[in-house]
Parts: sequence; structure tokens; C-alpha cells
Amino acid sequence: MTAAVMATTLSEYLQTADWAFLPLDAVWADAAAAVVHITLLAIFFGLPAFVFIWAERKVSGRIQDRLGPTRVGGKFGWLQSLADGVKLIQKEDLWPKAADAMLFRVAPYLVVVASFAAFLVLPFSSDWVALALDAGLFVALALLSLEVLGIILAGYSSGSKWSLFGGMREAAQMVSYEVPLGITAVIPVAIAGTMNLGEIGSMQSGWFINWFLLRDPFTFLAFFVFFTVTLASNKRAPFDLAEAESELVGGFHTEYSGMRWSFFFLAEYASMWFVSALAAILFLGGWWTGIGPLDAWVAETLGGFTANILGFVVLVTKASVLVVVQIWIRWTLPRLRIDQVMMTCLKYLVPISCFLFLATVLWSLFLPHVACFGLAKGMGERTAVMAAAPRAGDLSAVDAPAVDSVASFSPSGEGRR
Amino acid sequence: MLDLNFHLVLAVIVGATLILLPLIIGKFVRPRIPTPEKDAVYECGEPTIGSSYIQFDLRFYVVALLFIIFDVEVVFFFPWATIFGGATQLSDASLTSDAVRMELTDKLTNFPAGTATAETMISAETAQTMALVGFADILVFFGVLLVGFAYVWSRGDLDWVRAMVAQAKQAAPSRRATPSLVETHEAQPV
Repeated sequence: MTAAVMATTLSEYLQTADWAFLPLDAVWADAAAAVVHITLLAIFFGLPAFVFIWAERKVSGRIQDRLGPTRVGGKFGWLQSLADGVKLIQKEDLWPKAADAMLFRVAPYLVVVASFAAFLVLPFSSDWVALALDAGLFVALALLSLEVLGIILAGYSSGSKWSLFGGMREAAQMVSYEVPLGITAVIPVAIAGTMNLGEIGSMQSGWFINWFLLRDPFTFLAFFVFFTVTLASNKRAPFDLAEAESELVGGFHTEYSGMRWSFFFLAEYASMWFVSALAAILFLGGWWTGIGPLDAWVAETLGGFTANILGFVVLVTKASVLVVVQIWIRWTLPRLRIDQVMMTCLKYLVPISCFLFLATVLWSLFLPHVACFGLAKGMGERTAVMAAAPRAGDLSAVDAPAVDSVASFSPSGEGRR
Repeated sequence: MLDLNFHLVLAVIVGATLILLPLIIGKFVRPRIPTPEKDAVYECGEPTIGSSYIQFDLRFYVVALLFIIFDVEVVFFFPWATIFGGATQLSDASLTSDAVRMELTDKLTNFPAGTATAETMISAETAQTMALVGFADILVFFGVLLVGFAYVWSRGDLDWVRAMVAQAKQAAPSRRATPSLVETHEAQPV
């Protein structure tokens, strides 16, 4: 990896490099960069589903004192998801006569596309992000909530009462849990003063006391509220009322079979990983190891590219641990009743998140320099350090024109790969 | 902007392909043997009674209305939070370095880095005022919403099983004996 590659975004590199058919025009370079980004993201979109469906079966097996899958792919059955895929692809593609066939077939597309598009704005490391939008968090939440529409559509179009009730429950759950999700997601924004996920992550570099989780007691609680709400927004147990087997057969996916059925789970596991990564970036220090000198040492001696790889590994690890916790919760807690689900949200989570929001805001207002009870650096200092320092691997930052425009799509930050 | 559009369009295309491809491959290997049983809606083996497109009680109608208002407000929280965050960072009096203040000022005002000078940079006192005004703004904004939320809560619209709650309320001794509207009307001499 030459310095030139690291110094610029992929699109800028394609416009300046000089070999084979390069340099490209700006438009073609943007398009080529987008193709590369999307290809990498598509691979990464499939992986969580592949790994965590196996992990879910393995973990649930252990929790219930079973072995889980053991046969496909050696001792631990780690190729189980592939075997499932091969089986599902041979299944007959059915939909009931009573269903609205067109909407029935459109629904999985909506779910998968929305869940996939959200990955566009997710930074995987300090420099690795397909689209470094200044409104990144906002776009991510917007795209994630589109996914729910696909679920409601699937339930509505199936022509089955089970599915209809499942879809309507999902709608009820979505309209209530979006509120605490939004409010707890605003808390890190109010601390960091930016919606750019890359910048929010960068502000938590250094020792782990810099993580937003440990900034004050209220952000500490906000993380747990955020995590609980993401469980519900991904319809994971104990909030999986939309597919409650014991009462609604399969809920919104009762009538789906074979490959079409599996797309809902592809999207669900990808979203589970996505919201976990989001929680890691907002509260758990993103791609930083939590040991400041280690990050600095890697960046200085091994170079920016290695630092990015380390960051990627750290973020993937943090998010994956959170996904395993989601799985653990699913197999430990019993499912709530629908009225309990709604009450948990409206009478507990909404007031709690409102309180945490106001408390964090008051903390910022009157104790702006105190973070982690005075142990960590104040937020202003961190932002200034972040703005001044060239980002890891960004060798051209010294010469680069300062672009921090009002139009939120800063070309200097996109797609460093 | 072009860059964003490229990514979004490609994401839609690739996302759709992720579904289409296995389905097309599946077309060559999967059976297609429709029977009336397979075409029927699944209701645990019983013959279905009537269509599923029926009227039923949407319990969460008020909740949905509440959601619209709540969520629209939260949408406005985000831009507010970016400015408030920047202002509180500047209000930190322990930041004495001018260079740091200038950088933070540029970030808050959204001007290119290096615009602010020692004269135009925002002082800790100004930033504190800004943050306080911002806080007052959000208190009003949020307060209106919370009053509405409290009203809906006390009216019992957040209860999923409303009939039972109403019964429980009737069974419980009322705190103030308010005669119902009908009774008052009847009691009045005509």
C-alpha cells in the first residue's frame, strides 16, 4: 500500500494516480470508488448473517444444554449457515392465493435494501467509511427505520391474519421505540457537537475513560437504554412480538418460505450487527482499543494503514460482543406480552430517556470541562485536538484545502480505503 | 452530492441483486408443484374463515399520533444538539489557548478552518450565554411536548387494555366526586 493510496480518498486517488487507464474524470472516479465501496460493503453485509445465525444456534444450544449444530464444516458446525442457504435455495417459492402477490414479493427487497444502505455511513475505522456524511448518524437512523416498513408490508400483504397481527404489532412497537432511540442517540450528539459518526468516534480516542459511556453517570445509563431500544427496534426477544411463535405462528413471516423467508433474517442479523456497531461508536469508543498509548504506537510505528486495520478489528470485536449479548438476552428472558412491551417503552423508556437527555445537557451546560469525574479530557479539548491533528494515514491533510462546508457532504472525508 | 447519489443508487441496485440472484438460481433447482393446500393461507390446519383484510381495533392510534409529534421533535433535536455541543465545548473556561478556541469557533460557526482570528473567536462567557439560551430554547420546545405527553398519559391513552383500566378506575374510590355530565344536566331544574 503506497503512501499515495492512504493520503487520499479512493475517488481522489483515481483522479490523480497515473497508471494504466488512470487518471479518471471526477465523475468516473466517484462512480468507480462507489463500486468498490459497495462491493466491500456487500461482502460485509452478508458476513454477520452468516456468522451470527450459526452463533445464535450454537449459543442457544449451550444455554439450553444442547450442542447446537455439530456436523457441517467440522467440529463446531461453523458452515451451518451455508448448508441452510443451500437447503433454502431448493425450497419451493410459495405465496398464498389470498396474498397481494406484488407487495408480498416487494417486501423483502425493502427490508434488505434499507438495512444494506445503512452500512454506507458506518465508519469501520478512523479512515474507513464509504460516505463520511456530516449527518451520518441521522441518515443511519432514517435508513434503519425504513426497514420496519418492509416488515409491516410483509405482514399486511400476506393475506393471513397471523401475519397481519404480526405486522401491526411491529408498527405499534416501531412507533413507540423510535422515540427513546432518537432521544438516546441525540445524547452523544449533544456531547460531541457533531452528527458525523467518524468525528464522534475520533473524540473517544485515548484511554477508555474517554469513552462517552464513562463521561458522566447519565451517558452511562443512556447506553443501556439505547441498547435495550435497539433490541426492540430489531424485534429481538424479549421484544419479538412481531414473530411471536407461541401466539402468532410466525407473525409477519408466517406465509414466507424458502429463500424469501431467509432474506428477513439476513437483514435482521445485519441490522443487529449494525446497531451494535452504532452503539460501539456512540458510547464504547468506536474503533479505539481503549488503551491510548497502544493506538498511538501502532499509528506511529506501523503506519496509518495498520492503525486502520487495528481499528477495524476492534470495532468488529466490540460490535460482535454486543451481538452475542443480544443473542444471550434472547435465550435468557421470556417474551413480554404486547401490552407490557408498549408499557415498557411509553411509561419507562421514554420518560427515562427524556430525563437522561436533560441531565446530560445540564451536565454539559454547567460542567463542560468535567468528563469521567475529571479524569478524562474535556470535550472542547478533544474536538480541538481532533480538528488540528491529521487523521491516521492522512498524509496530505497538511496541503489539503480545508473543507468543512455548510453543505454537509464534505469531499475530504469520504471513502478512505 | 453526486458521490452520495452514486452510493445510494448502487446500494439499492446491489441490495436488490442480493435478493434477486439467489431467487434466480433457485428457479432452476426448486420444484414448482402448486396444490390447493399450498396456495391456502396457513391457519394451523383449519380452513380459513373469511379474508384477513378485516377491521380490527388499532390500539395504538393515539400512540401513533404521539409518535409523529415526538419523532418530528427529536428530528429537530439533532441540529440543535450539534450547535449546543459546540457551544458547551467553547464555554469550557479551562480552555485558555487561543489556537484551540479559534478551531472550535470555526467548527461551531461552520466556517473553513483558519477563518476565526483572536478577535473573532468566541470567548467562554459568550459561549456560556449561547449554551444557556440554547438550553432555554430546548426547554420550551421539549416542555410543550412533555406536557402533551403527560396529558395523554393521565388520560389513559397509553394503556393498551383501556377497558380494564377504565373499570379499575371506576372501582377505585374517586378522589373528587365529580358528577357526570348527564347527571348534572338531569339534576338541573328545567
